[in-house]
Amino acid sequence: MTLRQKSLTYAVVVPFAILLAFPFYFALVTMFKTNLDLADVEHSPYLYNDLEGGFHWDFWNYATTEHVRFLFEDTNYPKWLLNTLLVGAAVVGITLLLAMPAGYALARLAGGWGQTAGVGIFLVYLVPPTLLFLPLSRLITQLDLKDSLWSLILIYPSFTVPFATWLLMGFFKTIPQELEDAALVDGASRLKALYLIILPISLPGILTVVIFAFSLCVNEFIYAFTFISSSEQRTVSAGIPNDLIRGDVFFWQSLMAATLIPAIPLALLYNAFLDRFIKGFTGGAFR
Amino acid sequence: MTDASDELVRESSALTRSDLLKGGTAAAFAVGMFGGLPEKSFGFAGPMKFAKKQLAGDLRILQWAHFVPAYDRWLDGEYVKRWGEANDVEVKVDHINNALLYSTGASQVAAQSGHDLFWFISPPSTFQKQVIPLNDIVQEVSKKLGPMTKVARKSTYNPKTKQFYGFPDDYAPDPVHYRRSYLQEAGVSLNTWEDLRKGAPKLKAIGHPVGLGMSNEIDSNMLLASLLYCYGGFIQNEENRIVIGQGSNRKGAIEALQVMRDIYRNGMSDEVFAWTAASNNQAFVAGRLSVALNAISIARLAENSGNTALADDTWLASIPRGPVMRLGNEHVMGVFVIWKFAKNKEAAKKYLVDQQLGYREHFIRSGYYNFPAWTGAIKGGFKEIRRMTAQDAHKPKGKYTILTTIAERYTTNPGHPGNTTPVIDEIFQTWLLPQMFAEVAQGKLTPAEGVSAFARKANTIYRKWKNQGLV
Repeated sequence: MTLRQKSLTYAVVVPFAILLAFPFYFALVTMFKTNLDLADVEHSPYLYNDLEGGFHWDFWNYATTEHVRFLFEDTNYPKWLLNTLLVGAAVVGITLLLAMPAGYALARLAGGWGQTAGVGIFLVYLVPPTLLFLPLSRLITQLDLKDSLWSLILIYPSFTVPFATWLLMGFFKTIPQELEDAALVDGASRLKALYLIILPISLPGILTVVIFAFSLCVNEFIYAFTFISSSEQRTVSAGIPNDLIRGDVFFWQSLMAATLIPAIPLALLYNAFLDRFIKGFTGGAFR
Repeated sequence: MTDASDELVRESSALTRSDLLKGGTAAAFAVGMFGGLPEKSFGFAGPMKFAKKQLAGDLRILQWAHFVPAYDRWLDGEYVKRWGEANDVEVKVDHINNALLYSTGASQVAAQSGHDLFWFISPPSTFQKQVIPLNDIVQEVSKKLGPMTKVARKSTYNPKTKQFYGFPDDYAPDPVHYRRSYLQEAGVSLNTWEDLRKGAPKLKAIGHPVGLGMSNEIDSNMLLASLLYCYGGFIQNEENRIVIGQGSNRKGAIEALQVMRDIYRNGMSDEVFAWTAASNNQAFVAGRLSVALNAISIARLAENSGNTALADDTWLASIPRGPVMRLGNEHVMGVFVIWKFAKNKEAAKKYLVDQQLGYREHFIRSGYYNFPAWTGAIKGGFKEIRRMTAQDAHKPKGKYTILTTIAERYTTNPGHPGNTTPVIDEIFQTWLLPQMFAEVAQGKLTPAEGVSAFARKANTIYRKWKNQGLV
């Protein structure tokens, strides 16, 4: 790449990166702002200001950790993080367990109608939770799972499995049939061929499913809010708007901290596996 | 020929030796563990959690996340524990965002499962068929504390069914918040709506517009209905029949729409059409607004911001007077309901009674936000409430005294002069009022067209609920 090409690339990428990183910066600044600094419209919202609105390089003297302390000590935020992690991990496990064989079967064994079935399964994913939460709420009540993380572990796969199946189906199709045939000729069973040959090659697709399913669990609100009303049992997505918007008052600094903290590991996770993630999504695009 | 009851008798009498041994062992265990039968008969199964107390079982309560976090901490951490120990009940209070109360209530009804006590931020009369009547505990409290406030009674009593469908717990007066220095600078008074109409352009000219919401949120509902009262444009009459499209009510409603249109065009900004319940708080505390109508969370937020100049410059006043009257809705009417499917109705009832009888502490802990539904809950009534609010240390000294005047004289229920019927509740929950005002303010409808369209919709809703026998 020539210097000119490099410069052009950075000229496009850097402003774009700044734009995308800006919400993170804004949240980071806001979470340590004093009430006084935050409320005064004359003060810059992007910096820490003194009482008159002036900026100083020892800006930490004009910031406060009080709102982060409130978040961790006066709310159930640590529990919400843990609950989110538990539900996410369980749902990812269930999703992989169900979607991998389903995706493989649709890609290899279903013949002509496999594609149609795959699209049909994907359409299930498009049914919005706003329609489903009332009947599912009755189901959860009948199963006596209200206020339990198990309700989310049971219901979340209803939207992660269809998408993951569809995604993996496309990915499995990109893997040459000849590889499995060779394994079968060598005496491996179909399950063994799947386990030893297909899965290692499918790692980008599986990783995509893991990250995507986990993200869906972290972001989901309606089920998390409807099925769980006890603050201790909530996940991050339901806990934040319920405990940090009190009456008609927004606890802005704590809200920013609460949203930024889980976003950082997710962003790092996406970044670390970005190439595989893209490969996973585009794997089945040309088949 | 045998019937089902015969079968039951036979089954129950067919006691084997093995059954007898099992039952006897269990009984011996129970007597050994808990010292025999309790002195009173209990409505609930299971061992007592706290010895020699009256009730038993679990009690689950759902209510909003109060804007004063310390109030919820005290309620959850001290009050309900104390009450639970005194009554042998394990109490758990869940708090949610107030904007989600109605949808949560609806989902609990759909699932026929949920909390024993459910608190609503405004009278939830559309849920009347899903709750148990509470006349008995209303009478019990009234015997001890005297009559409940009119706003509480008319919010929760259905004259058609002669039932209290909900238990009024608390209400919040709705004062005007204003920046005194801005009003002085612009030479604006807030005594009447006409004063505000004339003063709004001046306030906007100095960079501090008026902030009166016309959006799909509760504050807009309360404010705009209040404006209608002040101009005599009542939605319904004392018999709870829709009258806004008729005679003097129509005339008053048209005038109210004209006033709000003028205030918007000359003294507000477009943001009021997209507000949430928190928006006027934020805009006021950010120093932008000169005038807003809200419960005292704005003043308290200003005090907590650390900006003493802002807090000291934030004054409170009664709602402006209109040509017909000076009257406003409560800002919050805290109403508890007990679902028909609630598991622990007796404990729920006792909790409500006890809470109201000792409401003084709730009033203080809420920073004078939660006024008791029975004024007698605070010994000395409004006189004592006035004394207490006058003692608030924030400047200007005594600024919270006006709350007592507003509560005593200028606060009413949604649906005034009638009751808060399911018709009014549905009108509020479908945001017909802010939509009418917004369409007129934006010039999409004339005030007369706005009133006619609103009256048509209101009458349709009325017929629906009349057919269900609730109005």
